[in-house]
Amino acid sequence: MNWQKLAKKLEGLQTVENIEKILGIGRNTAINYIYEMRKRGFIHEESRGKNKKRLYEIRPYKKITNGYPGLYEIINLNSPVKVVRPYKTVVYEKISIEEALVRAIETKKFRVVLASLSLFRKVGNWYKLYNAAKKACVGRKVGALYDVYRKSINKVGKMDKRVRNLLKQTKIKDRYIIPKLKSDDFKEIEKEWNVHVPFNKEDLKRYKNDRF
Amino acid sequence: MIDFDKQFEIFKLIGESLEREVVCYAIGGTAMLFLGLKESTKDVDLVFEKKDDRKEIKDTLNKIGFKEKNEIEIYGHKEAIKKAPLLLGRDDFRFDLFLEDIISFKLSPGIKERVRERHEFNRFKLFVVSPEDILLLKSATDRKGDRLDAKKIIETFNINWDIIIKECEWQTKRGRKIFSIFLYDFLEELKEMETEIPKNIIKKVRDIGEKKMLEVIRNKKN
Repeated sequence: MNWQKLAKKLEGLQTVENIEKILGIGRNTAINYIYEMRKRGFIHEESRGKNKKRLYEIRPYKKITNGYPGLYEIINLNSPVKVVRPYKTVVYEKISIEEALVRAIETKKFRVVLASLSLFRKVGNWYKLYNAAKKACVGRKVGALYDVYRKSINKVGKMDKRVRNLLKQTKIKDRYIIPKLKSDDFKEIEKEWNVHVPFNKEDLKRYKNDRF
Repeated sequence: MIDFDKQFEIFKLIGESLEREVVCYAIGGTAMLFLGLKESTKDVDLVFEKKDDRKEIKDTLNKIGFKEKNEIEIYGHKEAIKKAPLLLGRDDFRFDLFLEDIISFKLSPGIKERVRERHEFNRFKLFVVSPEDILLLKSATDRKGDRLDAKKIIETFNINWDIIIKECEWQTKRGRKIFSIFLYDFLEELKEMETEIPKNIIKKVRDIGEKKMLEVIRNKKN
């Protein structure tokens, strides 16, 4: 069997049922093919779709096994709000959750920032977050987004008080987290951190509906 | 020859040595190594959008023992040097650093949009171009090895031929006018090597080339 040719034929996102249909084979054979292709590095990613159905990302070239997940991959792993990645990212120096949060803010993309909010739940070292935010000049933005998430979802650990004070003193390049977007519902937070929050309560509803 | 591990080590070293963030595009053999299409390559081909970024990499490579090579030795004549890359070498390892232009090809917005992968070696950020674009870039050279690489790309990937046509049109309009003629010759050669290329694609590329040639002749007469 030429597995690369098979991977070429099946390139893209596939389920077991799809593979059965395309190749005209039974379920057991399709599962065996997936196993063989995975072993040979042609299955680049596996995820769960609607109804928890397994999705296989099949590519006709072998997956590079070294490196760590990039920003989009970290967000999709840790957040109930998913983001579409423009391309696959492989990082050779591991990105921590704290760094990922800062990087997400740096993208200035609405969906990415929204999805990254749940990373606050995984922050283990608030000083690390402060240092990364200070370096990227987004300290006050981090603080404001933390408050928004805590106020709306309230499923996040309490930020260290000293870090909170330090974040308030950081310099930022501009007051907008997302260019030209201001909040109607989080005016107090905006005032406290002196930045513009891009979200309203409605935007964060998605988080409340999802089970963690 | 440079294999994946060697390339990986040197990229890591560059990433650690860089003083600021640098972004570039991996093309040719380098991109093929990332896509697992090749075991080794002769040189590392990188394209930069900004002159400063290319200079930063050049300085970093100098720091880690790479020395500039003479372009005339490799590109033959002075005319070609205008758009020739910066060449830096150490032992059997060579870097070709292009700035926007890759011989008869221009780094287009389409190429940037179609990027497949991004690899981050600390401050060194590398975009791997799509198989379609690797294929198009291969048409700009005369080497036999490039034809074999192109054949392998077509055999491995489901090439989107519409992208090839669109990019050919863009390059003919905004890049080098005779690009479509290069591409036509290249596709014909590949066909002779028993590579599966849709017939209508070769015809379309030929039409683009003929149209451009007539336009050039008319303009000259006027």
